[in-house]
Amino acid sequence: MHYDRAMRWLIELLTRSGDALIAHLLPTGRVLRFGAIALAGIFSPGLYNSATRTVVQKQIYFTAWQIIGSFSLFAALLSLLLIQITITATRNYGLGDYALEVVLRVLVIELLPLITALFVALRSGAAINAEVALMKITNEIEALAEVGVDAMRLEFLPRVIGGVISVLALTATVSLTALVLAYLSLYGLQIHGLAAFSQVLGQVFSPGQVFGLWLKCLLFGLAVTVIPIAAGLDAPHKLFFAPIAVLAGMVRLFFALMLIEVGSLAITYL
Amino acid sequence: MQVSAELPLRANLSVLENIALVPQYRDNRPTRQAEQQAWQLLERLNRTACAGLRDPDLDSEQRFVAKLLRVVIGRPPIIVIERPGLLLPDSHYPSRLADCLAKLEDEINTLWIVDYRWNAPLYPPI
Repeated sequence: MHYDRAMRWLIELLTRSGDALIAHLLPTGRVLRFGAIALAGIFSPGLYNSATRTVVQKQIYFTAWQIIGSFSLFAALLSLLLIQITITATRNYGLGDYALEVVLRVLVIELLPLITALFVALRSGAAINAEVALMKITNEIEALAEVGVDAMRLEFLPRVIGGVISVLALTATVSLTALVLAYLSLYGLQIHGLAAFSQVLGQVFSPGQVFGLWLKCLLFGLAVTVIPIAAGLDAPHKLFFAPIAVLAGMVRLFFALMLIEVGSLAITYL
Repeated sequence: MQVSAELPLRANLSVLENIALVPQYRDNRPTRQAEQQAWQLLERLNRTACAGLRDPDLDSEQRFVAKLLRVVIGRPPIIVIERPGLLLPDSHYPSRLADCLAKLEDEINTLWIVDYRWNAPLYPPI
């Protein structure tokens, strides 16, 4: 009797845990599936026509061009502050020769790409997530399909392309600004430091490191568009689910960005 | 292809862009050419004033015209207008519908209007 009851309790517990695990893993599976479709679609020549090109251009305009000035200024101020702190701290410990290498490794390779991805995620990722959720809820996707327009090709893939290009462009801009500021902070407006500066740059930015940095930025770019779109598409046809879809997408996006960063750190330094 | 209250316009595009989207996407027409084609259709229905408006700024007649032209521009073999009373509320819709369709006669292959049986007296006998 007791044995039967215990077994029933165990079966119930396992069923509940299994259901919870599946419910947790299903959205991740859908994100990965959408990511795979997006990657395959991006390289398909059939994707590109005047309508999809317009969506790519608009995405780049809203994600990168509209904010490039203010974001570059913010990144420059942050970089300047961190460069000064690093130079002062390393000099205090008698390690001034390593200041530039520390700045490059911490600021240019790790912090600036992550801050850029987080900024784009907050600004454009949330907007994309809300828009796709509303498109799903209000039947816009079906309406486009009715007139022979595939929303995946017209709306979603161009956003992924625009998002990736924007993250790469913004990261390149703020990283170059940080490099210039690092040089100016260490050597001022003199050119005599150029040789030493180039030598450290060459040491830090080995071909493997550059490849890893671009790969990380590419993954950041994919994450800030693919995860919000997949989360938006997960929304049921009920208006009150729109904020829930955005919330779920943003939480998943945050963890994905952190996972990419931690993975990149582990591969580089362990 | 259907014209239905349940198939909305793309919310972030204007009326002209919604209509031009079909030839742009399906026939790979350049934007300017597709917009010209859409403009000509709007001109036929004397609705060019709403070309730059987006869905929330449209009244029900403008919205109906945009939805109808988005379908007409694709020249499908059959167009179905589903429950026109839902698309054109607060108006004697059969006459408005007849007016629109007469102006687009050469653009439409076959047209079906799906309406409730109790609205049959609103339509002229065939």
